[in-house]
Amino acid sequence: MKPIEMIAWFTKDGYPIPLRYRLTDEDEENVVIKVDKILFKEEQKIAGNRMILYRCESIINNTLRVFELKYEISTCKWFLFKM
Amino acid sequence: MNISSDNIKIKQVFFSEVFLLKERVIFHIDVNSAYLSWEAVYRLQHGEKVDLREIPSVVGGDSTKRHGIVLSKSIPAKKYNIATGETIYSALQKCPNLVVVQPNFELYLNASNALIELLSEYSSKIQRYSIDEAFLDYTDGEKHWEDAAYEIKERIKRELGFTVNIGVGPNKLLAKMASDFEKPDKIHTLFKDEIKDKMWPLPVEDLFMVGPRTKAKLNKRGIFTIGDLANLNRDYIYSWLKKPGLLIWEYANGIDNSIVRSEPLPVKSIGNSTTTAFDVDNRKEAHMILLALSEKVSMRIRAINRVAYVVSVGVKNSNFFSYSKQMKLDMPTDSTNTIYETAKKLFDEMWQGEPLRLLSVSLSELLDNNFYQLSFFEDENIKEKLFDRTVDNIRGRFGQKSIFRSCFLHSGIDPLIGGVTIEEEYPMMSSKI
Repeated sequence: MKPIEMIAWFTKDGYPIPLRYRLTDEDEENVVIKVDKILFKEEQKIAGNRMILYRCESIINNTLRVFELKYEISTCKWFLFKM
Repeated sequence: MNISSDNIKIKQVFFSEVFLLKERVIFHIDVNSAYLSWEAVYRLQHGEKVDLREIPSVVGGDSTKRHGIVLSKSIPAKKYNIATGETIYSALQKCPNLVVVQPNFELYLNASNALIELLSEYSSKIQRYSIDEAFLDYTDGEKHWEDAAYEIKERIKRELGFTVNIGVGPNKLLAKMASDFEKPDKIHTLFKDEIKDKMWPLPVEDLFMVGPRTKAKLNKRGIFTIGDLANLNRDYIYSWLKKPGLLIWEYANGIDNSIVRSEPLPVKSIGNSTTTAFDVDNRKEAHMILLALSEKVSMRIRAINRVAYVVSVGVKNSNFFSYSKQMKLDMPTDSTNTIYETAKKLFDEMWQGEPLRLLSVSLSELLDNNFYQLSFFEDENIKEKLFDRTVDNIRGRFGQKSIFRSCFLHSGIDPLIGGVTIEEEYPMMSSKI
């Protein structure tokens, strides 16, 4: 699970919605990925630690990719969970 | 006609009131390998592939402490005969591949709070017995207790990610004994009619409140099982072991009338102690540690709005011999300076000069800070009070280390010593059930 830089917007109800994020690859290339569609979101409370899981879809390099992002509420950190 | 129907109503009310003394249904919820499970599940949530619960692993070993000890272990670790409380060193000898993780008390508090929050949906009568155990009174619950217990267990597993054992009984003692049967992830019952078959065959040291000393005393007189103890004559056990004996006799017979206490008992004393990484052999260092302990303990007493009459200082030397000294102040206090100066004085009066490994500062004879008589000889030091509270505020807002006494700079000694690194006060873990 990688920590990522994220630009998100917040709804009036206080839900963060991911917009686009930046990953630094091992080859030192910064990749910016735009979140095209959020398939679903789910709040987890594992061991009392609240995290929101987002399953998203984006077109990256002409292919449709599905991936999961996670937002950790207590630390305000975003992670790329699964690609 | 009217009068006689009123009479009937009165009789009916009386009847149902008598019947209100029905048997209670108490749950004891106990997290399986709490620290270890919580750490395991936290890691999985953060993308780690390995589940600590499935490999030999333990929580323990603070590198700054003298001997790290095992605080929690996984089931695979148990197979290597690793016991909670033994040193990490000895555990590693039993299993060189053992994975050792550092404790993370903030995580444990969050997990514990989440557990209590979930349980609160089922009853308002919840007693937080420790960080990983709780009693719940389900007597007036909506569902059948069996469905509720199963639902609670599954929801904790599904929503919070860890497993618990639930013991069900007519009182706290039996519920707590029951939850200790086979683990993990199980519900066990211990109702009155099951005591003979499920509890009496067990060794007497498995009974709550029977420790190694009591076990030895009982064994000497031929009492080896809980059943042996239960079947003793009540007067006999009282004449031999007095009130504590009577208590364990009642427990052996499944008798316990204590209620599920949702409000904690009032705090009687408050203290902090530390075992130092290296022996303390000079006065200056000892004084600094006492200051750091005083800072911590006075912060805590102010947080619960009390003042203390009695200050006590304790030490343990490198021969593991302990001694202490205390004194009663003319005016009760919550001031860091007063507590420190008193602690220093007591220490100087009693210390024999030998190397020490543990120091402690405690406060007792507590009063509400609104009511106390002012001594004629000391004027209320308002500046002192304001200063203490300002420092508390700053620490509360910016962290415990945001402000500290300059003597600690470059000293190698923590400016606030005692307890775990969590800001809140938790009066848990009492010897009273």
